[in-house]
Amino acid sequence: MSIIKTENLSKVYNPDTVPVHALNNVNISFEEGEFTAVRGPSGSGKTTLLNMIGGLDKPTEGSVTIDGVDISKLKDSKRIDFRLHNIGFVFQHYNLIPVFTARENVSFIMLLQKRGKKEIRERADALLDKVGLSKKKDSRPVQMSGGEQQRVAVARALASEPKFILADEPTANLDTESAMNLLDIMNRMNKEQNVTFIFSTHDQRVIDRARRVITMVDGAIHKDEEQHVAEQA
Amino acid sequence: MATFIKLAWRNLWRNKRRTIITITAIMFAVLAAVFMQSINRGSYEVMIDRMVSFNTGYIQVQDYRFDDESSLDNSFYYDEELRDKILNADWRIDKIVPRIETFMLAANDVSTRGAVVLGIDPDKEHEFNEIRNILSDGRFFEAGEQSVVLGQGMANRLQLSVGDTLALMGQGRFGMSASGLFEITGIVDHPIRDFNNQVVYLPLDTAQELLSAYDHVTSVLITLQNERHTNPVAASLKSALDGGELVVYTWPELMPEILELMEMDLAVPRLLTVVLYIVIGFGFFGTVLTMTMERLKEFGVLLSIGLKRLGLASVLFLETLLFSLMGVLFGLGFAWSILKLIDPINLSGEAAQAVIDLGFDPVIPMSFAPDQFYTQGFYVFIIAMIVFLFPLIKISRLNILEAARS
Repeated sequence: MSIIKTENLSKVYNPDTVPVHALNNVNISFEEGEFTAVRGPSGSGKTTLLNMIGGLDKPTEGSVTIDGVDISKLKDSKRIDFRLHNIGFVFQHYNLIPVFTARENVSFIMLLQKRGKKEIRERADALLDKVGLSKKKDSRPVQMSGGEQQRVAVARALASEPKFILADEPTANLDTESAMNLLDIMNRMNKEQNVTFIFSTHDQRVIDRARRVITMVDGAIHKDEEQHVAEQA
Repeated sequence: MATFIKLAWRNLWRNKRRTIITITAIMFAVLAAVFMQSINRGSYEVMIDRMVSFNTGYIQVQDYRFDDESSLDNSFYYDEELRDKILNADWRIDKIVPRIETFMLAANDVSTRGAVVLGIDPDKEHEFNEIRNILSDGRFFEAGEQSVVLGQGMANRLQLSVGDTLALMGQGRFGMSASGLFEITGIVDHPIRDFNNQVVYLPLDTAQELLSAYDHVTSVLITLQNERHTNPVAASLKSALDGGELVVYTWPELMPEILELMEMDLAVPRLLTVVLYIVIGFGFFGTVLTMTMERLKEFGVLLSIGLKRLGLASVLFLETLLFSLMGVLFGLGFAWSILKLIDPINLSGEAAQAVIDLGFDPVIPMSFAPDQFYTQGFYVFIIAMIVFLFPLIKISRLNILEAARS
């Protein structure tokens, strides 16, 4: 069953001056439990597509439906609330709250969801254990490496128990070891807990691990293919 | 909310130096503002306190004609019934002090001076203003005695001392001739210069007999359990005395000139305070502006992950509030400590003599009136609110994607 569906999705930037067609009539859907990479050259529209799916931007035309809700029609505060409960984000530059520890960063999103204190603490600790940061729970971002910060970002994205996680170039700033480590963690989450991951990426390491690869060119879906991925040791 | 406070607090200290400089600037502004006001108000407060204690009382009941024409003809009948009526008008009334006041000529055997003659009940008067404590010589008369107590200035001018005889001459009620000889039983060093030079105290009943104003008084002074109750008690009294010929005045109504003078004198420090706060306000704004602009990307991310704009605005509001709160608390703390340390400033030399010549004590007392402390806090809060408008507008218009890309 598809949890995300776009219909005739188009986005034009600067429509009154120099129009830039970032997305052209994109029709695509994503199933629960997918591990999908969206690739394409710079300016192909992959980040715009993720922004539309994530409710961070509004389409010029068409719609984005998530679990039956057309998020392009939601008002700003409703959309923020929708994101809080349904969508997880992992950013290229980690974007953790610099004054919070790893545990506080993971807990923050659950506090926004108004969960109980005990549940928040237990779940934050469990998620940090799962991403291999049990010894860094009380460290602030500045005290962690890029790979560790990105793992905290994954734990934060998972904390709200979203329907899917959007990761925009998650490995772009990581060395090979950290990138592979991060991919292992996300792969494991996907397989063990059926968490849906959608990546925008240039990184071949990510593309090689994805079971579905969508290629975008000039704001349109150029290719959409399933691929067999060998089991990791 | 606890998380927002924690976030705001930690954000403040992301740039310690900037935060310390801003808080210090607010602190010095508050310190300077309180200091300027305290010095200016201190002298006036002492003056007003003396005037209230020895002259007007917090509230005064008079005949409605007495304010326009301070004549004994406008005195009023004062008996137990009226006393009880006043006392029962409001539970916050502490004591009532009847007085009869007129102007007479005071003379020794060779010279004559104008005198403010005050007929008082010595015991009630002492309960009101501890008048016996300002006796510099002799003793205070008892009720019914044919005696007077003079102000030191008056005694000096007439070259009289305790045991001498003073002649009083003047006009009693309804034009009756009033004159008599009185033994001086005491001299008071009155804290109000004009009184010190002019006052002659008599027992109330003796004065009433002298002035042919039997059972009459010109005013009833009312003391309260707390000065803050002045207006509500005055309102109760007005209601209780409504329909008669008696009117009720509060102390600011009785000495508007002093209050106007004080307001005029305070205008300069107030203007300086405004200028100071404008300067500090721009500095504060600069800090908040920088803190906002350098974190736009972070704001975009926070909005992306699910923090609502209101929540983000709350964090920034708390940051602004914490800034101002710390500046105000440190400023008030320092101001209070310094004022306590230097209060009062004792003048010496020519400066002291100049002040004495003006009829004041050669000291500059500090004012510790609570309102001058909390109003500074209020002003800084207003500045903080104005400064906060910038991040508030910025957040409300923030484009998440543009912010996240910045």
